[in-house]
Order: sequence, then structure tokens, then C-alpha cells
Amino acid sequence: MNDNDQWPRQVVITGLGLVTSIGLGAEEFLAGLRAGRSGAKPITAFDTSGFAHSYGCEVADFDPAEWIRTFQPEELGRATQFSVAAANMAVADAGIGAEELRGRRTMVSVGTTDAESRDLDLLVGEQLDKGPEHLTPGIARRAHASRLSTSIVRELGLTDVEALTIPTACAAGNYAIGSGYDAIRAGDVDVALCGGADAVCRKTFAGFYRLGTIAPEVCQPFDRDRKGILTGEGAGILMMESLESARARGARIYAEVLGYGLTCDAHHPVAPDQDSLARCMALAHRNAGITEADVDFISAHGTGTKANDVTEAGAIRQVFDTPPPTVSIKSMVGHSMGAASALGSAACALAIAEGFIPPTINHRETDPECGLDCVPNKARPAELTVVQNNALAFAGNNAVLILGRHREAA
Amino acid sequence: MSALVFSTWSAVSPYGVGSEPFRTGIQAGRSAIGALDRAAFPGPFTEGALVPDFNAADHIGRKGTRTMDRVTGIAVTAVGLLLADGGPELTSRPEETGLVLGTGSGSVQSIMDFTRDSLVGERPYHVDPARFPNTVMNRAAGQSAIWHGIKGPNTTIAGGRLTGLTALSYAARLHRGGHCARVLCGAAEEYSEQRAWLEWHGRDGDDRTSPLGEGGAVFLLETAEDARAAGRRVRARLLTTRFRAFAEPSDARAALAECVRDALKQAGARAGEVRVVAPAETGGHLAGTEEAAIGDVLGSAGPRLLGSRALLGDTSAATAGLQLAAVLSLLDDEETPPGALALVTAVDRDGTAGCALLAAATNEES
Repeated sequence: MNDNDQWPRQVVITGLGLVTSIGLGAEEFLAGLRAGRSGAKPITAFDTSGFAHSYGCEVADFDPAEWIRTFQPEELGRATQFSVAAANMAVADAGIGAEELRGRRTMVSVGTTDAESRDLDLLVGEQLDKGPEHLTPGIARRAHASRLSTSIVRELGLTDVEALTIPTACAAGNYAIGSGYDAIRAGDVDVALCGGADAVCRKTFAGFYRLGTIAPEVCQPFDRDRKGILTGEGAGILMMESLESARARGARIYAEVLGYGLTCDAHHPVAPDQDSLARCMALAHRNAGITEADVDFISAHGTGTKANDVTEAGAIRQVFDTPPPTVSIKSMVGHSMGAASALGSAACALAIAEGFIPPTINHRETDPECGLDCVPNKARPAELTVVQNNALAFAGNNAVLILGRHREAA
Repeated sequence: MSALVFSTWSAVSPYGVGSEPFRTGIQAGRSAIGALDRAAFPGPFTEGALVPDFNAADHIGRKGTRTMDRVTGIAVTAVGLLLADGGPELTSRPEETGLVLGTGSGSVQSIMDFTRDSLVGERPYHVDPARFPNTVMNRAAGQSAIWHGIKGPNTTIAGGRLTGLTALSYAARLHRGGHCARVLCGAAEEYSEQRAWLEWHGRDGDDRTSPLGEGGAVFLLETAEDARAAGRRVRARLLTTRFRAFAEPSDARAALAECVRDALKQAGARAGEVRVVAPAETGGHLAGTEEAAIGDVLGSAGPRLLGSRALLGDTSAATAGLQLAAVLSLLDDEETPPGALALVTAVDRDGTAGCALLAAATNEES
């Protein structure tokens, strides 16, 4: 801890690790966001016969051996492979050496919806084929949610570290980033590697399909003809550190984390609640020390279901006199579950650093019930100062994160 | 140092439902491990420590409990007991109350049953939509909030055997960050056939047959001022938590010892002040690690070691939560001097170590 630090400390994002269906690494992800690339394609993760439609946003061409050093790929489930790969990318992107990182007190915090449910799917298959006495021990060992964070610790050889996995479903990425923000801000740790990871699995696809919320081929958030979500996968890990730490090593700063808010609807297992989400946004603004008028664009949860988009738009209008442009990158990367708000946060950080608002693709006609400027189909150049990243989850868990441009005082 | 104290708490454990049976069971050192009902719980184990005759409907009512899985029932029941014990003031500001609950991977039974239905049904989407939320790992925390109307931050934490400690650290930070005025914090784990098979196949050889347990514990963390104003007795003060990681099992002992030294240093306390230590008693290739590390820092003639694995079985993600409950049970003992320190430790096979340091309430506090 540096005695020259201002208290509470400022927290900045200095590295991004991204495993997404529209590109691996910050540069490719950025190119995808600018171009409005789509990650949608037929699902290959499991046998989809019997489903009338089965598109998703899988990460194709991911070779774990290319991104992971300490582990043999088969020691890790797919979601953990994503989280470890993204952590390696974030550290490399931040330009901090492995030794230097090991000398810092660190937090590793990874959000998820399903953790290694894909492995649990595999084990059910083994049970049906051979009986429960004959499961592959390596898969049983790696199928734990805690592995998403502890495997990053192992990969990087960290010792002075607090590791946690936050399985708060589809808002988990924002939760994890918030936990790192609080820890750095208070001086508990110097560095935090935070984000989210998930892998496409049969269990979750079948569940959403049964609920009638899977779109046949494209995800069209806020569109009059939207038909639902496309399940996706990937990981986003953000390297966060105190401003003093970033300055001391001359690091590039993408954005500053200004604050966040959390609320629970305490109302319904799957249906969102407008008032509770509005309260969450207001809490986030207060925590970040901003007002709604400061927000230059919103990266929405924007799943593309009837219920989410109308409720979320309603909550935005409840809080904002004049809603700013509100986009959903899920139109491009699908709903990557626990990784979703981490990818959204990374997109916000890149948007601030590069001066543009990512588009909502597949857009034809805005639903008047939503009534938002969703930056249809083409990225828009913009000077951004404050941006907001929304996340909602099953069980009524909401998390809203606020990022801002970091300006060095003259 | 944390500003938080432990006041009201509850447990749903193999000793029964409530903090009182837990306290008596732990104080008496009685084992709750017994023969499993093999019809209800087939699988590789013949013995286990289950919450006796547990049925959530008996405790929280029949309505809405049909589709609730076992771990959700345990959590909702434990939170309900705590709220009842804490008095009406506790539910008067639902927006300012947080809930942080530790889990393994939610209910692996619910998740795997759902996949099974998709694989063996006539159509792959012939799954029960009402049970879909059970397959998402924040179900127990979220349903506890829905059931009891808790509207503050609602977070699910997974940290292997350290889960209860990780959740505690997260909860304290949530409070300090201004996200809630007080926070219910705990951990829960269910016994299920699928969890049993995963443990059986995933554990080290010599640890394989060690019986499993289940249960949950929830604690109210609040400021001493709030506890006093509401007439809730302060049981202990949370001093600090510390965590480290180790690459090789041979480094686990040093990693945990370092955590304990740091925690004492941060609290400005001496090793001799620690009266009780509750280790997780992690087995397999880490067996004995915690006891050795505790000896390294606190000396061989040190504190009373309060192990509960022989009494409650291996409760996986609930382990550290139940250790905390065991420590609070013991601190309630009239022989415990006010201000005495207690330590909860854990190591996990995935290479993490951690501890929490508590101080029994002083005369002014209680």
C-alpha cells in the first residue's frame, strides 16, 4: 500500500482479456464491436437434434493450448479454460510482468451463471451410458464453480491473493467487477482480475427453449420483431488497479471504475421488476457520485426477450428524463450468461478509450414500447465521459456498473 | 478492521433445525453421522450426516415449496429462523439489508436431473420449466430473498471449502463499501446422490470414503450500535479475514500460517489471546495441514481445537459456515472470557488457504 494514495483510492482498468464469439483478445473484440460483427451460428456444443432451431453464439476456433500455460487443457472445464485464457490476455494487455504481479496483493473474482454445468452435462451422459460408478475422475474434479477463479490463481502463480467465484447468474460479471472495485478502493488489494465466464451447455439451452425465449436465428434487442435470446459463451476479465499503481508503472488506462449498485427484486424467480431495476440504477449513480444527466450511453442487459427489453426500457425512462443512447451488444455476442456483463463492461471501457458507441445489430424497427435510441446497426463516433452497464439475473438480482473516462489533472 | 459484529444467527444442521440443537450438539461433541436411508439416497456412501427428516414445508409452509430443491429449502429455512430471532425491526428496512450466501455449485442434483430429462425425454425440451430456476446457482440466495422480502444486495459466493470465509470477507466489504446497512451472511450445502458421486470420483483415494454431511448457517452482521438499538445481543466481533494461495500441497502449511500471522497482526492481537480454533479438517493430501500451521503460529500448548468433521461429516461448501457457527456456540459458553479470540481456518485442494479472526463480545458489547 502506498502512503501517497488518495483515499478512497481511484480504481482504473488497465488490461482487457476477452474470449468472445466475435473475436479473441481486446483488439479483435474491438474490431468486432466497431464492425457490428455477429457471432451467431448453429450450436455444436451438444447434439441439438429434436430442437426445431438451435442457433447460438459459440466461441469457435478456441485452442486452449494456445492461451493456457500451466495446465493441460483437459484439467479444466470449458468455462474455466475461457476464464484462465482471458486472465492471461488481460495481464498481457496491461503490460505487467508475471513477477511484478506476484508481488502485488491481488483479488481474483469471476462471475458465472453455469460454471462447469457443461461438465455436469457430460457426466450425466456418462451415467446414462455406463452407470454412475464409471465417471471420469478428472471431469468430476474440475466441475466446481470455485475453479473459475482458483485456476487463474494457479495459472499466474499468485500467492498473496483472495479468490472468489460469484455465481450470481447473468448479472455476475458486474458483481465481480464491483467486488474488485471495493477491495482496491479500500486498500485491501492493489490489483484485481475480475469478470465473468460461461460455456454453452445443453441444460441452459433446454431450459430457455422450454420457456420459449430462444430466438430461431438472430438476437434483435429492442426491435418490434424480437424473438428472444441466443445463448452464448466466453469470458471477459478486466485487470483493475489503483490509479497510483497504474501511474507508477506508466500503464495505459482504458477507463476508471466510478461505482456500482446492487438490488434484489425479492419478487419473482425469472420475471424482471422495473422499480427494482430503476432503484439499482439510482444506487449506482449515487455510489459513483454522478447524476443521470452525466451518462453518455447505456450498455443495456438487452437480452432480446419481450419481457426484458420492455421492463429495462421502462426502468431507464423512469430514471432518465432524457434516456441516452442505449445499446445491446448481445445482438452481436449473444447472451453469454455470467460473462455477459463482463463483456459489456469491457465494451464500455473500449468505447470510452476509442470514442465510439457500439451498435445494436439486426435492428429493423424499434419497438415503440421500448422507445430508445439503440444505435441501430452501425457504430457511432462519440466523445464519452460516463457510461453505464446494466445487468439483470434470474432471482431478481440486478447490478449496474458505472465507468468513466480518466482524465489526468492538468 | 471490520466494523461488524455477529449478533443473531441460525443453523440447519444434522443436529436439527435451529441454532439451539446445533449449540448443544457441538458443545456435547456428539456425532450426527449415521446410516443413510439408501432408498432415498442411493449412491456410493452408506453413512452420512443429514438434517434429520428435513422437509422445508414443515418450517416455511407448504405453499410454494413443491418445486424447491433441498439446498434452497435449507437456505430459506435458515434465513427464516434468523429473521424470526432477530425481531421485526430486522425486516423493517428490506432495501438496506444484504444477503450473501455461499454455495458449492448450487444444487448439482437439480442441474443434472434437468439435463437428464432433456436427454431421456421424448423431446429434448421436455423439461419442467418450474424447476429451471433450481438449476441456476443463485437460486438458494435469490429464493431466500423472495421468500423473506430482502431487497438489498443479493450475492452468491463459491470458494470451495473456504466458501464461508470468502462469503464473510465479501459481506464485510459490501457493508464497508456502503452497499447495505447490514448483511445476512452464510453458506449452505445439500446431501444428494449426485453430489455424493461427484465427491466419490473427485476426491483423493484415501479420502474417498469419508462420509458427507449437509446443512447451512446464516449470521447477521451489523454494527454494534445497530445491534444494541434493536436489542440484539452481540456474540462476537469480526476482526478480519485473510487469504493466500499455494501451488504445491507442501506449501499449504506455510500459506495458512502466513494468513494467521497477518490476521493477528492486522488486529493488533497476540497469538496467546486465541482461545479457540475451528479448522476445516480438509482431508486427502492436505490432511493435518491446518493443525500443523496452527501449531506453527499459536504453539503446541495453544488454543482448544474445535473440529467438527467427525461430528457433521464433510459438508463441502457449508464447512466454514458451520465452523463459524461452532465457534459462536462455544463463545456463548459462560467459561469463555469476554474479548477472547477465536480463529476459523480452511485450506482447499484447489490451492487456497484462508482464515477469519473473531473476538468474543466484551462486557460492554454484550
